[in-house]
Amino acid sequence: MEWFDDWALTLAVFIPLVGMALVLLIPRAQEQAIKVTALATSVVTAAVGIGILVDFNYDKSGKLQFQADESWIDVISSRYHVGIDGIALPLLILSMLVVIGCIIYSWDHFPEPRNAKAFLALVLLLEVGMNGTFVAQDLILFFIFFEVVLLPMFFMIGVWGGPNREYASIKFFLFTLFGSALMLVGFLALFFTSKQQTFDMVQLTQFGGAGIDHTTQMLIFGGFFLGFAIKVPMFPFHTWLPDAHTEAPTVGSVLLAAILLKLGTYGFVRIALPMLPDAAKDWAPWIGLLAVIGIIYGALCCLAQTDMKRLIAFSSVAHMGFVMLGISTLTDFGINAAIFGMVAHGLITGMLFFVAGSVQERYETREMSRLGGLLTQAPKLGWILGFSAMASLGLPGLAGFWGEFPAILSAYDPSAALDGIAGSSAFTTYRTFMVIAAIGTVLAAGYLLFMLQRVAFGTPKPEFENAHVHDVHVPEWLAWAPLLVLILVLGIYPNLLFDVTDGAVTNVSTLFSG
Amino acid sequence: MLQRAEILGVRDFYRDYFAVAVLIGAALLMVGAMLGAGRLIRPVRPQAEKYVTYEAGSDPVAGWGQSNARYYIYALLFLIFDVEAVFIFPWAVGLEGLGTFGVVEMTVFIVLLALGLVYAWRKGVLRWA
Amino acid sequence: MNPTIDYHALAPEIVLTVTVAVCLLVDLVARRSELVPRLASLGVLGAIVPVITLSVDGANRTMFGGTYEVDNYALVFKGLFLIVAYLTILVSFHYIGEGDYYRGEFYVLLLTSVLGMTVMASARDLVTIFVALETITIPTFALAAWRKHDTKSNEAGLKYFLIGVISTAVMLYGMSVVYGVSGANKLVGIREYLVDTNEPALFAVGVFLTLVGFAFKVSAVPFHFWAPDTYEGAPTPVTAFLSVASKAGGFVALITIVNIAFFPSKGSWQPVIFVLAAASMTLGNLAALRQTNIVRMLAYSSVAQGGFMLVPLAVAADVSSNSAWEGVVVYLLIYAGMNLGAFAAVIAVARRTGSAEISSYAGLGRTDPALAVMMTIFLFSLAGIPFLAGWFAKLVMFRAAFDSGTTGAVILGVVAAINAVIAFFYYAGVGRQMWFREPDPAVERTAVPTPLTLNAAMLIVTVGVLALGVYPQAIARLGELAFTPG
Repeated sequence: MEWFDDWALTLAVFIPLVGMALVLLIPRAQEQAIKVTALATSVVTAAVGIGILVDFNYDKSGKLQFQADESWIDVISSRYHVGIDGIALPLLILSMLVVIGCIIYSWDHFPEPRNAKAFLALVLLLEVGMNGTFVAQDLILFFIFFEVVLLPMFFMIGVWGGPNREYASIKFFLFTLFGSALMLVGFLALFFTSKQQTFDMVQLTQFGGAGIDHTTQMLIFGGFFLGFAIKVPMFPFHTWLPDAHTEAPTVGSVLLAAILLKLGTYGFVRIALPMLPDAAKDWAPWIGLLAVIGIIYGALCCLAQTDMKRLIAFSSVAHMGFVMLGISTLTDFGINAAIFGMVAHGLITGMLFFVAGSVQERYETREMSRLGGLLTQAPKLGWILGFSAMASLGLPGLAGFWGEFPAILSAYDPSAALDGIAGSSAFTTYRTFMVIAAIGTVLAAGYLLFMLQRVAFGTPKPEFENAHVHDVHVPEWLAWAPLLVLILVLGIYPNLLFDVTDGAVTNVSTLFSG
Repeated sequence: MLQRAEILGVRDFYRDYFAVAVLIGAALLMVGAMLGAGRLIRPVRPQAEKYVTYEAGSDPVAGWGQSNARYYIYALLFLIFDVEAVFIFPWAVGLEGLGTFGVVEMTVFIVLLALGLVYAWRKGVLRWA
Repeated sequence: MNPTIDYHALAPEIVLTVTVAVCLLVDLVARRSELVPRLASLGVLGAIVPVITLSVDGANRTMFGGTYEVDNYALVFKGLFLIVAYLTILVSFHYIGEGDYYRGEFYVLLLTSVLGMTVMASARDLVTIFVALETITIPTFALAAWRKHDTKSNEAGLKYFLIGVISTAVMLYGMSVVYGVSGANKLVGIREYLVDTNEPALFAVGVFLTLVGFAFKVSAVPFHFWAPDTYEGAPTPVTAFLSVASKAGGFVALITIVNIAFFPSKGSWQPVIFVLAAASMTLGNLAALRQTNIVRMLAYSSVAQGGFMLVPLAVAADVSSNSAWEGVVVYLLIYAGMNLGAFAAVIAVARRTGSAEISSYAGLGRTDPALAVMMTIFLFSLAGIPFLAGWFAKLVMFRAAFDSGTTGAVILGVVAAINAVIAFFYYAGVGRQMWFREPDPAVERTAVPTPLTLNAAMLIVTVGVLALGVYPQAIARLGELAFTPG
């Protein structure tokens, strides 16, 4: 299928855009038509995704496939270059899947002030940005898609969010905009210092920063770091995240946690590490340090939360810390773990936010002190919460384990390239990180069980004693089932994912094997 | 030789100024003659209005404006055609070389300026009331 | 010795001149006052036709002993000015027609100013540049005070006039010094002088004064203080015209004179523009943050945008290719569109609420979603958010700064990056009012429909902003062409 090879990724990115245009053209009163159009769009997009999954050559997962390379902005030598390899493929599919889930989930439950048309248009626009970021192979194209997600999320938080939404939305936007402005500065600096003067990510990766003096490399990496670290978010740039998550509507939180945060970590793996490997070596121990601080800090903050959603938000900071720790080891093992961690976190935390949203919808509060007895009032919902919490704390047999455990383990044996950079011995440093991160998992078990106990166990508080609580309804089942199944399947058979990513990860990690 | 030439030069210089002096004298004479003739011929009937600054009758003291705004409009209209004259003068000097083209261009220029006058006239600017 | 006149090359100017004359006469005799704007817009469209034929032809046409040149550079800007003029007429049609305004004269003066701009695009000597600049500016003094019975408008006109006169005087003095030192009136002559000779310190003084004069015209900090008052007081279509077309006119003159004449004397102009750029971006943005009136906010924002535009100019001497100059041109073209759109939306909102306070935008997303969407697009494009054209303007600006690679340029680039983030805050502030807040019941709304002309103007700009945001090559190519000899 020649035709499909050339067009698959373009379709995956721009079908949602067409869908958005269609949604905007339908009059607001015809809500049913709007919802059907949006869902159909996301399903068609996912069908393209399945086509890619089928057609993808898994033996050569390290090679860019489905490439398209067309002229775009010749004047600044930027091209429309898209392609996909084993690192991006799982994330692209995850993004398509979560979007379908979000559209189904909100079917009858649009947050106030409703307006399904605008809401679904924004969701589809978000999908354009997310899918685009994962397939872009040109820095300018990457930047565009990376930024496209900002506006819809800004409006989603600001219009459909909670009481403190204005503050949260502006904070979210300013933080990420600041980061991406400096990231763009880094892109341009890389363009002008590299000999080829190209934005093409494939060429820049081959080029690997050769000929750029070390100080400049460090500064450019600093720009990348700020851009991506704010998006991840890493400690101490995480402060926008709890606010954004807490105020965002359920679907917004899910998309934010499941996909948007991954744009940052993906950026590290796709751009920062392979394009500037020399600088990456010097930065890695510091990234590792911030990662473990994030793990502990996030966990401690979780223990202090009374709001369910805020707790999950802080747990994201901790989990993304594991991902970043894996990346900072610069090893094949660590980066594979990080990508697994991204996917797992996307599935699990997405689920947790879905459940938190459903709990809020039923009890109209997320204060854990007022909740309790979910298992008696809505047993299925309670079990799903329990399942997701177990997955999140890294219970073996569920997806979360394969994100967390190998990441910790990889810190035992970081890349030899790091030796001599991180103090006396990279091994000592990273093994310290490992121990701290392991403590983090204990804390994670603590706060997640703590949440589960207060929300799901016990008996309902007097105020909700006689409340009629609807258990999981059909749209929720439809939206959640794929995520739940995947959490289980990936937990039991992790090689399903590792086999895809490994080939591509090797490309990155070999840069540091020397 | 050299000295003589210089002296001659100086003489020529002064001779040029002599012409200016004659012109000034003639001008003074002419003005004097005209004013004098007026004095001799006109009847003398002094009135208070004739001694104010503007004989047109506008009061230079009343209000804060020192003069009537209408004068500005006249000044502006005058200025337009004054500037026109400034342009026409060098044009006239070179007209022979410019030929038909020069005539056409100047006509365009004058017509455009005249449009301004037409505008002012239609808007009743030229009426004093 | 008849001078050879290339009537094809002068056709845009000739068409505009005839239109001005016809409009003036028609206004005197016609009973229906809307005839004049219709004629004016036809005239502008008519003037675009020769611009297109000339671009297709592509040859450089030099006239009047090299003082007037119709090349790609000139044609790009002539096209811009004429399109902006057309949009301004669309925006003004009802605003001027419905209020207590002189209607015919408005368009006569507007087109005269546009005529000055088209001349400016081609001017290649000091005198022609000066004359063109005055032709641009003098009609706008009257336009700024067009709301006769409004003291703010009178103040606007007077302030603009006084500043205009002072800046003209300063600039003329600077130009005189430049001429006196170099002995050349033509820009290429000045350049030759600079290349051949070691210019004296006095030349730098001349350059400095000339640039200060331009700084007033393009309202660069610290010569910007007139802009907010003038913009607020003037009728909004005039404000749109001033902040887009007049400013662009000033910029074109600045680019021409620096690029062609002053370029070799880098030390005399680069530091000045560097400081103007940094100060305009930063102070313009900080002042814009504090505004409660949207017109004043846009005024300060246009000061800041001017600062962004100066960035590539400030580094152009250190960039080997033309990309920095192209950056200024591209920024200018994109800025013109999005700023005009924003002002059109301000006019449309003011028709409903009669207010230009930012708080009166509360809940616009509910009461008039289409208008709110367009306003959002314009504002976020001004903020430089991707897939709206503004991002590309910002990109070419950063690109120039990093292409030059000098420490100063990189610092300027980082300052610009931080400012781009600050700017987002006030643009988003309006978005927040429109979308996140409930409509304020205290604000009275009339249900007058937005007139067709105004909607058309906004729609044209919206389509342009979206299309160029996705495919910026189109506009980047124009920028490139402007500096490609034909």
